[in-house]
Amino acid sequence: MKKITSYCRITDQQVILNGKKLEISFSGDPGSARLTEIYRYLDAKYPKFHKMDNLSKAGFLASEIVLRSLDYDSETPDGSTSVVFANRSASLDDDKRFQETIDPDNYYPSPAVFVYTLPNIVTGEVAIRNKILGETSFFILKDFDAEKIHIFIEWAFSSPGINRVLCGWTEYLDDLCDVLVMMVEKESPEGMDFNTLNINQLY
Amino acid sequence: MEKVYVTGYGIISALGAGTPATLESLHRRKSGIGPLRWLESMHSHLPCAEIPFSTDELRRMAGVPEEEMTTRTSLMGIIALGEALEMAGIRGKNSLNPVLISGTTVGGMENTEKYFLKMLTPDKTYDDYILSHDCGVCTQMIADHYGGFSMLSTLSTACSSAANALIMGSDMIRTGRTTIAVVGGSECLSKFHLNGFNTLKILDKDPCRPFDDTRAGLNLGEGAAYLVLESEASVKARGVKPLCLVAGYGNACDAYHQTASSPEGDGAVLSMTKALKEAGLTPGDIDYVNAHGTGTPNNDESEGKALMRVFGADSVPPVSSTKSYTGHTTSAAGGVESVISILAMLNDFLPVNLNYKNPMEMLSFRPVTDEKPPRPIRHVMTNSFGFGGNDTTCIFSKI
Amino acid sequence: MEELILELKKQIIEALNLEDITPDDIDTNAPLFVEGLGLDSIDALELIVLMEKNYGIKLEDPGKSKEIFKSVATMAEYIQKHRTK
Repeated sequence: MKKITSYCRITDQQVILNGKKLEISFSGDPGSARLTEIYRYLDAKYPKFHKMDNLSKAGFLASEIVLRSLDYDSETPDGSTSVVFANRSASLDDDKRFQETIDPDNYYPSPAVFVYTLPNIVTGEVAIRNKILGETSFFILKDFDAEKIHIFIEWAFSSPGINRVLCGWTEYLDDLCDVLVMMVEKESPEGMDFNTLNINQLY
Repeated sequence: MEKVYVTGYGIISALGAGTPATLESLHRRKSGIGPLRWLESMHSHLPCAEIPFSTDELRRMAGVPEEEMTTRTSLMGIIALGEALEMAGIRGKNSLNPVLISGTTVGGMENTEKYFLKMLTPDKTYDDYILSHDCGVCTQMIADHYGGFSMLSTLSTACSSAANALIMGSDMIRTGRTTIAVVGGSECLSKFHLNGFNTLKILDKDPCRPFDDTRAGLNLGEGAAYLVLESEASVKARGVKPLCLVAGYGNACDAYHQTASSPEGDGAVLSMTKALKEAGLTPGDIDYVNAHGTGTPNNDESEGKALMRVFGADSVPPVSSTKSYTGHTTSAAGGVESVISILAMLNDFLPVNLNYKNPMEMLSFRPVTDEKPPRPIRHVMTNSFGFGGNDTTCIFSKI
Repeated sequence: MEELILELKKQIIEALNLEDITPDDIDTNAPLFVEGLGLDSIDALELIVLMEKNYGIKLEDPGKSKEIFKSVATMAEYIQKHRTK
């Protein structure tokens, strides 16, 4: 039976790891600054974080929290883990920022911003940080849908050699952060059963 | 595990609408790359591969009424999907309940970027365009035109989207979740990504030259292509003739950089190796590789090295990039190039790599310049590598 | 020149999102790429945008840019000679 061995939920109000709220005192309004506060709390020592767009930052942070809780080895290349995320708004948060840089009256297209106008870059960032060489994918759904997410993750396991899938819902738009990242493992003695009911509960 | 067959396919690109037009252009070595005709961009000097029809013409070809909200991406998808469903003999057969998995990133953005300033004014005429912006909505529009799909899914993994849609559809059939999966992608040009690619300085101001030593970048293109995948049981039950087999596929992460490929093509080596293993084939079995071959200095070197590592420096099979015909159709590339690879296999010819003159000294092989294959084409491989290090390889086999 | 160098350092920090770095941390003569700040290819492209946005200098040839972007010092020198803003 596949198990959810760790999960992290990040919303505007709080950051939760496996049912426990992380004691981060947020000063200031929700949004990008809050993501940076979580980064500092984690002391992740990964300066590339600051170059990411908000979606990638949010997905990166939740993944970092989950992987740390599992003592994941980020130094050894790992072809047996896949990364599969989904959301509603794709990369719209960053798309808007890029659109501003191609305003005909102030036309300075930004390559660094353009790089993130693809929702799946967040899976790439997590893979780069943790040397994950398995499959990566990104789905767009109308809304959070535990059943569909369950299908995508089951699908990810159908590839030979994949034992773990880092997955979930990474939605970020206009300062609203709505993220649930889970590690689902093919074989594990611990954790909660991987099914639609539990995914809904964690959300 | 269930075998997965291809029973139909459809395509529209700068080479024209439908497989006959596509085949003719490939045989005649006629590229679809040229000056911009429809997209109103300040970068009109950049060669692109636009579909040779205006959006109004596409609307008529697709049979979508004037009053109906639609997007260029959806219209292209409707036309390509129609050909695929027709070929497979499932058009209008609503009881079959196929799934549709489509890759797109631009979605309806070509409309919204045109009209968004007008949307900001009190004039409400253009407000509804915002409803067509979504990637998912485009898939819905494409599906609704024909009806009868049991599940829709939209993938967005950049330039490997359509190829990943093929993987997902195949896996759904192999694991018994569906018996028919229609997979592919659709992407039209937009100012948004034309500007974006331009600012990354990976566009060539001349027609692209994949695998040429003087290559300087890619040309963006637009296109749509879909394949109908079916289980063996369904093929038998419907009494249809399968066109070819989906032998294997692999997806891996390069984990190197958001937009550049690792110098030795690690992700590509992984995806190609995985695909061969899945297919139960050895490198020597592959008779043609349709490369990702964008024509950027980075990709062609990286992919070239990866091909040498997988096949052995002295035994790389015939390789060509058909982006010299269709441009880089981004999210649809995996679909467009799968169809082209299958056409090559079923018609026993090698699509020539256009604009090639100067060999890349660090590579041991040269791209295809002669249509005649050295041996019959039994197995073809196609690569699609997306930003985010998302590398996908698919292999098709003759039956 | 000193003023330009300080200004440039601040602009680089902002344009490249180097949040944990102050102008004092950037050695004017140290390499910007590979070692030193360890900037990558996207950063190089952003520096090209910076040159145009802040100093009106258009760099068409990414190859030539390598020399110009060697260090903050070489950038400042080039800007002084070619700025139109």
